[in-house]
Amino acid sequence: MSKSFNFSLQDALFIGFCATLLVALKSMMRLKLGISGHSMFLMTFFYLICYGVVGRVGCISACGVLSGLVAMILSVGKGGPLILIKFALPAIAMDLSLLVFAGLFTLRWRCVVVGLIGCFAWAGKGWVEDLLVGMTMQVALVQFALSMLKGGMFTLLAASMVPPVLNRLKSHDLLYKDSTE
Amino acid sequence: MQVKGRRKATEYRRATGSGNRCLEGSAAQKSSFVTAASLILVLFLSSAAFFIPDRYLPGLILCDIFLVIHGLSRRGKLGVIVRVFLVQLIITMSLYYLIHGQGQLAQGALAVLRILLAFIPGWWLSVSCRAERIGEVLTWILPVKWAFVIAASIRLLPFMTVELREIYQIQCLRGARITPKFLRDPRNWPELINCVIFPLLIQLLKLSRQVAVAAQLRYFGKNKKPTHWR
Repeated sequence: MSKSFNFSLQDALFIGFCATLLVALKSMMRLKLGISGHSMFLMTFFYLICYGVVGRVGCISACGVLSGLVAMILSVGKGGPLILIKFALPAIAMDLSLLVFAGLFTLRWRCVVVGLIGCFAWAGKGWVEDLLVGMTMQVALVQFALSMLKGGMFTLLAASMVPPVLNRLKSHDLLYKDSTE
Repeated sequence: MQVKGRRKATEYRRATGSGNRCLEGSAAQKSSFVTAASLILVLFLSSAAFFIPDRYLPGLILCDIFLVIHGLSRRGKLGVIVRVFLVQLIITMSLYYLIHGQGQLAQGALAVLRILLAFIPGWWLSVSCRAERIGEVLTWILPVKWAFVIAASIRLLPFMTVELREIYQIQCLRGARITPKFLRDPRNWPELINCVIFPLLIQLLKLSRQVAVAAQLRYFGKNKKPTHWR
């Protein structure tokens, strides 16, 4: 977290609150739904809200790393230190993709594309894990495709909800940096 | 005589008080070092589950059995681990059967076993280490601002939860389709976002502004080595 993560204290606190809320909601929704991939819904939603409110490249990665650390502290997911990778990897992928797509599309399509790239990173992490534990390439690819399908649906749902929320925040004059254009 | 006795008693009380504080301090420090060692151990064992060759697996299984026994002695519940293992086993074995037939089922079982071995150390950490100690260890490696952000977020989590619950209950009374029964259908999730998450985000924006102003009024960020309220 060097100079590129040098947010104002207010922005840093908002990112931290979003990360904590993401972990708390994930722990509430866990087991009740029983569908794998629903974590991508919360992750995409809160990461993109952070991007919309803070409006700086690096805020999604910060939110991802903080979510991983908070999940580790609150023992959500039972993954120990590896839970950090689960939260941080899609966030970093989304942040890197924003370097390319920052001014290219409308906010709605940008959210969808960036969210799907995050989902791809999330499914890719599962694919690498499957290969590392010794699964065959075919089985790992089928698992990857299933993760991408399920996670992708939740990602699309979350990404489509972000622009209306940001527009409503903007209409309440709560966004002091305009990243909704 | 009475005055002398009273002074002695006060001195004794002071001595025992400071002794207790010293003991508490050293115990807390020891506990933090144990937590740091546990974190490193968990990271090592979880990574080993993915990377070590098959011939070393029995050793790792033995380590994880010790962790499970220790976790169970600390009243940990294995329910989540068993559930993850069973779901993973069913999905992976059915895929192996459909793609490769019966020939490579053992390889599939071994892969699921490795996933289980990667999960167990994390479960043990959550059972055996206290959350505040893990937080303290993380502040050793994190910058001051981000350590403050994590501490403030976790400190304010009960406030956020109360806000969330209040907003949720009020919206349920207004007839919003956000009860657990309705939320099983993802088509009702936008209503949850509009009725509950949006007002909560407004609260979080206000809260972050208030906390930032309060911290800056206390000269947060002016000193490289900040003091802590104990």
